[in-house]
Amino acid sequence: MNLNPMEQFAIKPLVAEPLFAIAGHPIYFTNQALLMVIVTVASALFLTLTVKPNRLVPTRGQSMSEMSYEFVAGMIHSATGEDGLKFFPFVFTLFIFVLCSNFFGMVPGSFTVTSQIAVTLALACLVVGLVIVVGFMKHGIGFLKLFVPHAPWYLLILLIPIEVISFLTRPISLSVRLFANMLAGHTMLAVFAGFVIALGSAGGALSILSVAPMLLIVAIMLLEFLVAFLQAYVFAILTCIYLNEALHLHDHH
Amino acid sequence: MAEEPATTATTQAPKKEGGFPPFDTTTFPSQLFWLAITFAFLFTVLWRVAGPKINSAITNRRGAINGAIKDATAARAEADAAQAGYEASLAAARSRANALAEETRQSLNAEIARAKAEADAQAHQSMHDADARITATRDSAKAAVGAAAREAAVAIVERLTGDKVSAEDAAKAIGN
Repeated sequence: MNLNPMEQFAIKPLVAEPLFAIAGHPIYFTNQALLMVIVTVASALFLTLTVKPNRLVPTRGQSMSEMSYEFVAGMIHSATGEDGLKFFPFVFTLFIFVLCSNFFGMVPGSFTVTSQIAVTLALACLVVGLVIVVGFMKHGIGFLKLFVPHAPWYLLILLIPIEVISFLTRPISLSVRLFANMLAGHTMLAVFAGFVIALGSAGGALSILSVAPMLLIVAIMLLEFLVAFLQAYVFAILTCIYLNEALHLHDHH
Repeated sequence: MAEEPATTATTQAPKKEGGFPPFDTTTFPSQLFWLAITFAFLFTVLWRVAGPKINSAITNRRGAINGAIKDATAARAEADAAQAGYEASLAAARSRANALAEETRQSLNAEIARAKAEADAQAHQSMHDADARITATRDSAKAAVGAAAREAAVAIVERLTGDKVSAEDAAKAIGN
């Protein structure tokens, strides 16, 4: 057992040879790639196969699928209104991807896809890129009014740079929030697991003390399940809020 | 660790130990490649297959429930109407029965009154007849008594005096 708590975040190729190279960068099939494939295939199969359109009394699986669907639909509807629903497939995919990645990462010995800044940053850039595209498509150059809040002109000198900076830092805040939460939780679990092993192998009274970090791991594990859901929810709801700004600028719908 | 592809002379193999794994930029191309593939796959499936399927399941159920509620409302209205009709016909039947009973009672009363009047009249008549008969009998009896008294007076006078008295005189004498 490796006691380095960061070891669990290491990306290792499962096939030693790179599959091919894109612009000089070798592409490996890694443990993370395997988990991403498992996560997406499993959630795609689950959401497709559990549901029968003409089943009036849903099975447990169908209930879960419908619940996640209506959860995301309700989230979009409350955050962006009726016209946000055309982004449903994107937000639903984001939510399911992050949620399932977080939960599959909770399986001991697996890999947490969302504990990688490259993944979360790419998703966040996708969101902000979509916001920018939608904003300019809907409002043209008027989208830049997003950076001009309703305020007297002398305050605008201060507010416009702040708005611009806050917009530009969105990909970072969105990605680091998810990345740091997952990283911190799993690191904490690994650190306490290290304590259990260290105390247990110390012998004598210290071995008995190793129960304490063990119980703590159970408690943190429960907390991490909550965090896993919560971070997926936060990621999705922030996406909705950003999309709402792109669609409606500052006016309240 | 892995053999470098011929085209990538500058790319170094991923480091095995040390450093902070999420910031190891050599893994980024692989991460982004697989993220793009898997995310696109999931998006396509959810957009084209799962989403419409779940949506139609929810819509179907909502439709079925609304239809059932509509049917139930219609059935209840029908039941209410049937109940009202039943009550109306019950009330009509009851009033008809009351009217019939009243009518019967009245006709019976009339018949009873008629029969009673008839019986009264009959009784009256027979009483009258009886009275007449009694009067006649009494009169005839009285007459018979008068005649007998006359005859007796005539006979007594004849026996005592030997005179023959006429019946009229005798009648005068005895004040009858």
